[in-house]
Amino acid sequence: MELRLLLFLIFTPIFLFSQVKFVKDTIQLQGDSVVVTATRSERKLSNVTVPVTIISAKSIQQIGALRLTDILKEQPGLTMTSGFGAGVQLQGLNPDYTIILINGEPLVGRTAGVLDLNRIALGNIKKIEIVKGPSSSLYGSEAMAGVINIITDATTKTPLQTSIRYGTYNTIDAGVNNTLASKSIFYQGYYNYYATDGYSIRPSSASRVTTPITRLATNQQFKYNLTQNTNILIGMRFTNEQIKNELSVTNGGLTINSNGAEKNTDYNVSSSLNHRFSNSLKTSFRSYITRYNATQNLLTVSGAPYTDLLDHLFNRLENQTDWVVNKKLTAIVGGGAVMEGVKSSRYDSEKIRKTNTNQYAFSQWEWMPNSKLILIGGIRFDHNQTYASAWSPKASMLYKINKQNRIRLSIGQGFKAPDFRQLYLNFTNAAAGSYSVFGTAQAQKVIGQLNSLGQIGTLYNNFYQLKALQPEYATGTHLTWEFEPNAKNNFSFQLFRNDIRNLIEVQQVGAYITGAQIYSYLNIGRAFTTGFEIEAKHQISKEFSISTAYQYLQTGDKDQIAQIKNGTVYTRDANGLSRKLNVSEYVGLPNNSTHKAQLKFNYSNQNGLFGNIRALYRSKWAVNNTNGNEVFDDGDSFAKGYIALHLSIGKDYINGLGFQFGCDNMLNYIDALNLPNLPGRTFFATIKLQKSQKHKS
Amino acid sequence: MRQKLKPFSLLLILSSILFSCTKNETTVVLPVTAITVSNLPADTVLGVNAITGMPFSAGKYTFYSLERNAIVPNTDSASTQWDLAFAGSKILTNGGTSGKGLGGAFIYTGLFNDVKTISNDSVFKTDNAPGSFAVTFGSGKGWYVYDQLTSLITPLAGRVLVIRTASGKYAKVEIINYYKGGVTLPTTASESDKLSKQRYYTFRYAYQPNGSKTF
Repeated sequence: MELRLLLFLIFTPIFLFSQVKFVKDTIQLQGDSVVVTATRSERKLSNVTVPVTIISAKSIQQIGALRLTDILKEQPGLTMTSGFGAGVQLQGLNPDYTIILINGEPLVGRTAGVLDLNRIALGNIKKIEIVKGPSSSLYGSEAMAGVINIITDATTKTPLQTSIRYGTYNTIDAGVNNTLASKSIFYQGYYNYYATDGYSIRPSSASRVTTPITRLATNQQFKYNLTQNTNILIGMRFTNEQIKNELSVTNGGLTINSNGAEKNTDYNVSSSLNHRFSNSLKTSFRSYITRYNATQNLLTVSGAPYTDLLDHLFNRLENQTDWVVNKKLTAIVGGGAVMEGVKSSRYDSEKIRKTNTNQYAFSQWEWMPNSKLILIGGIRFDHNQTYASAWSPKASMLYKINKQNRIRLSIGQGFKAPDFRQLYLNFTNAAAGSYSVFGTAQAQKVIGQLNSLGQIGTLYNNFYQLKALQPEYATGTHLTWEFEPNAKNNFSFQLFRNDIRNLIEVQQVGAYITGAQIYSYLNIGRAFTTGFEIEAKHQISKEFSISTAYQYLQTGDKDQIAQIKNGTVYTRDANGLSRKLNVSEYVGLPNNSTHKAQLKFNYSNQNGLFGNIRALYRSKWAVNNTNGNEVFDDGDSFAKGYIALHLSIGKDYINGLGFQFGCDNMLNYIDALNLPNLPGRTFFATIKLQKSQKHKS
Repeated sequence: MRQKLKPFSLLLILSSILFSCTKNETTVVLPVTAITVSNLPADTVLGVNAITGMPFSAGKYTFYSLERNAIVPNTDSASTQWDLAFAGSKILTNGGTSGKGLGGAFIYTGLFNDVKTISNDSVFKTDNAPGSFAVTFGSGKGWYVYDQLTSLITPLAGRVLVIRTASGKYAKVEIINYYKGGVTLPTTASESDKLSKQRYYTFRYAYQPNGSKTF
């Protein structure tokens, strides 16, 4: 019992207890859950001041989700993007603006701002917490739209869990999770193997939309209790991806086929020393080392090799101290330093690692003047070597009107630092028109050199405006009303608005003598995303439940709207003649759907039988600016709205054996051009076995 | 006092002449009507080279007279008979390195009907091969955008080519479409359709025969 209490108080979320056994399978209203991401300390969900979604291990398992993308795509307010891997868009903001954490530590290795969420296996995940709204006051850069924190399982109740799954396109997933525990030592190891043949949904194309992939992943966690009040935690995670590429690039009628392999490895090591001085004071020292290496070796049919390397190293040291000042006041104070570096063949030299350092300090105060009100104020300061410093304040409150009604309000500022590519890219695309992109740290120097060699044809006004990039900033406001009339019903309504300034955008700064474009980055954009989300859950009977959610989203580029109002943006009428564009025809930012909705039926009984059917709808979204007027309007190309319907049924036996069968995309909806990550109808079957301690002894 | 009056009265007389002059001219000008030219072939694609995979064409310009609203035979390419020449997405004016005429052009951002007079400070560019052309070449730079994903060319809305013709008169041109039949192909059209049906210009123009800059 003491051990349990101690563990509960430890900072690191890994060791929150969970029990994998047959609980009565009713929908657990979220009020019971514990959240760590919202305040960097354990809080009951019902006491959290910001909007948080918790995805439990059970719901991951019951829909048969394998990779992080599988589960995130079914969350209200989130949209998956394709291109440079599967990224996640949160309330209309691009994947660059959401930080992805594993047990509180950031994942690195983004390509063009996108972190491929297929890299993350879900086998040993305890839960996923999603915080919506700027959270830079706690997490710094990238936490501009929100935070997704993946918390791995650390149960001691199941020493051995295995599962194997087979599905369409020869997709195999096998996992083993084992745990060893004594009074002072705890160990958990997770191993996952995943392989797929990939698929091609473009009938006349040689290249596969999803290429054959083999992934190996392991996750090792180790804990040692030095004394009752002090412990050491060590966690290691390693993933290896081997991707077989058969690329086919068509340019000007000429098709180039190339063959090769892509290898991505990703490891991280985190360790922490945690000490509790008293019931009201504890501290945690953490160190984190992570490295992502992606190497592409391609061989074109002509025999010319093509290599592309990206290597991202990230080291961090951090301290966080939690202090319960009195019954009404709690404080968190912390600080740390980050050293990171990137090597890439798309920079001037792939041998030299570009580095950056960042020091930061943060503090958060939580005040509970009475049992109905919680007020939180926090601020973080980030000092950086290569870009301007950033202050990130945030204020939030929770007001419990009565037992049934709660109001949450949060206002915060988030930022995203210019990334390495925006600073150091030095890339000329020989395959497509020989255009070049230069990061701002070097653009003026490199273009100046090219100019002195007589290679520059024109320099635009933009060139003279190039300067050190500033961070991008967002101010976000979230107002949520939650209504829980009884244990069977749950309803929430949320209004949100994010205003983004200083957006870093690719701009043409000049042209070569040949006419090929030269691009760089400028802090010029201003945008907004706004809308509302409604979620409702209803427990029909002991076994049946239904949940539904809807999101309405409006986005826009403020400068473009101003141009349209000025009458300097044009489109064509039915006869093909030019006319001025009306503001009402403007559709906002690309890849955003105005309407998203979902409806889920869930069944599970006491005998371990479960089943669910999930319908996910997304309305049309703009993909391509076909009429060339640089804004997205009714005259551009859209991807059609669609419904994806998924089904999963299974049975878990008391002896630990379990079966599951599922069918994803039952309606067989395919849009090869705009939804490459959605294969047609696919099937899977899973067998799993878990041994509980009781059976072993 | 008298001596001072003299140049002043002269100026008065002169300006009254000038004033009446312009007044007379504007009354003479007839409103020019817009003419639409459809399906003007511009070095259309003849096939695809089996070895390189590159499309090929005859490599010949289509010469056009705005004054006569007619195609000018290629034998007259070295004359001042033509005002514009089309090949693929390239448009030449009869002047500079392209021809013997007085031709030139600039691209105005705005609506066709809003080009009522060419202001005197407008600068007409002339063709200066191979680097610079009065009607700028390239996607997003002149009159069109090329989409690498769909391989389609779309004329930019709100672009007017203000043309000085071979004989030094003025015209305004709006390119409406680049595909046969005047309708841009759907993105899903076959590659062969995208090649064989492109390079057919539909455009409208207004030509001012009296030499003034007013339309």
